[in-house]
Amino acid sequence: MLGNKKKSVIIAGCGKLGSSIAGSLSEQGYRVTIIDVDPLAFRKLSPDFSGFQIEGDATAINVLIDAGIENVDIFMATANRDNANLMISQIASVIFGVKQVYARLYDVEKEQLLKGLNIEAIFPAKLSIQEFERLSQIEIEE
Amino acid sequence: MKIAIVGGKNKADFLIDSLLDKEHSLMVINDDESFCNYLAKTYKIPVFNGEYNKIYTLRDAGIENYDIVIALALFDSDNLAICQAAKRLLNVKKTVAVVSNPKYVDIFNKLGVDHAISATYLLSNIIEQVSVADSFLLSLSVEHNKLMLTEILLESTSPWVYRLIGTLQLPENTVIGCVLRGNDMLAGDSNLKLMPNDKLVILSPPEIQSRIIAVVSGKSK
Repeated sequence: MLGNKKKSVIIAGCGKLGSSIAGSLSEQGYRVTIIDVDPLAFRKLSPDFSGFQIEGDATAINVLIDAGIENVDIFMATANRDNANLMISQIASVIFGVKQVYARLYDVEKEQLLKGLNIEAIFPAKLSIQEFERLSQIEIEE
Repeated sequence: MKIAIVGGKNKADFLIDSLLDKEHSLMVINDDESFCNYLAKTYKIPVFNGEYNKIYTLRDAGIENYDIVIALALFDSDNLAICQAAKRLLNVKKTVAVVSNPKYVDIFNKLGVDHAISATYLLSNIIEQVSVADSFLLSLSVEHNKLMLTEILLESTSPWVYRLIGTLQLPENTVIGCVLRGNDMLAGDSNLKLMPNDKLVILSPPEIQSRIIAVVSGKSK
């Protein structure tokens, strides 16, 4: 049986979201590279994490290139700042043609800036509202 | 023209001063309240105090349909977001951003920013040329670095003095645009005789520039 070559993933930002996803994907055999400017952030990773950790500013193009953005399958932008995530997800998608690009954004207004781009946005606020609606059976008007 | 300046401190201050001279209509957006107060008092222009990271700040400041937005924030990513919001959502005609990383000039252009300016990038271009000749005065890149304008002083030791422009063997795609002689500006006609202390304004492709400087200053054949 042919070896199942799993996809490669770059995650920018080792916060709660980034570190959790990094750990899970690494366990499933994905080739994960995680970037964070603060080396202490990597402590959030589970001890089983077997990917690469890069200490650097994910908004610096040479850091992204070192992380392998030119050939990566999946890119996740989960840095602290919305604007940083907007910029690096566009660099991944538009400049480097990465096929699967995800960006976590806190500000729902910024969704408009991704229109027409091959970038999937994740809005914690929206998801929380949906979960509240589901739990309480109350519809929230936007 | 209606111009909005977003973010920045020293850069914004200087820019406002120079733009007001040219009688443009300005709107300044900044998140620092005391800086906003200072600007409003000093320049008597509309100043909007708000977080420029929020799209509603730009909207509330009323910059919809403006001619130009200039983004001077500290972070390159903020400037990108400001320019994209201005262009895509608020129908601003042209966007200009300052970038700290010269590699972003090209990237920003590809992501829709009309003009991305890196001080380091410009500086390195100029320094490169200054090291070539003493009589080199000014270098300006036009059309995204496709065309170079070079101002060079013709010293008396130059092989070009007393020659008619038409007899000079200029490299390909190179033109002497005009000659500044004293207070006069003379057209670079082929029958103009070049004199010592003329300042030549030469247009050429960027890669030819150093060769021209070397030829004019007599440092090469």
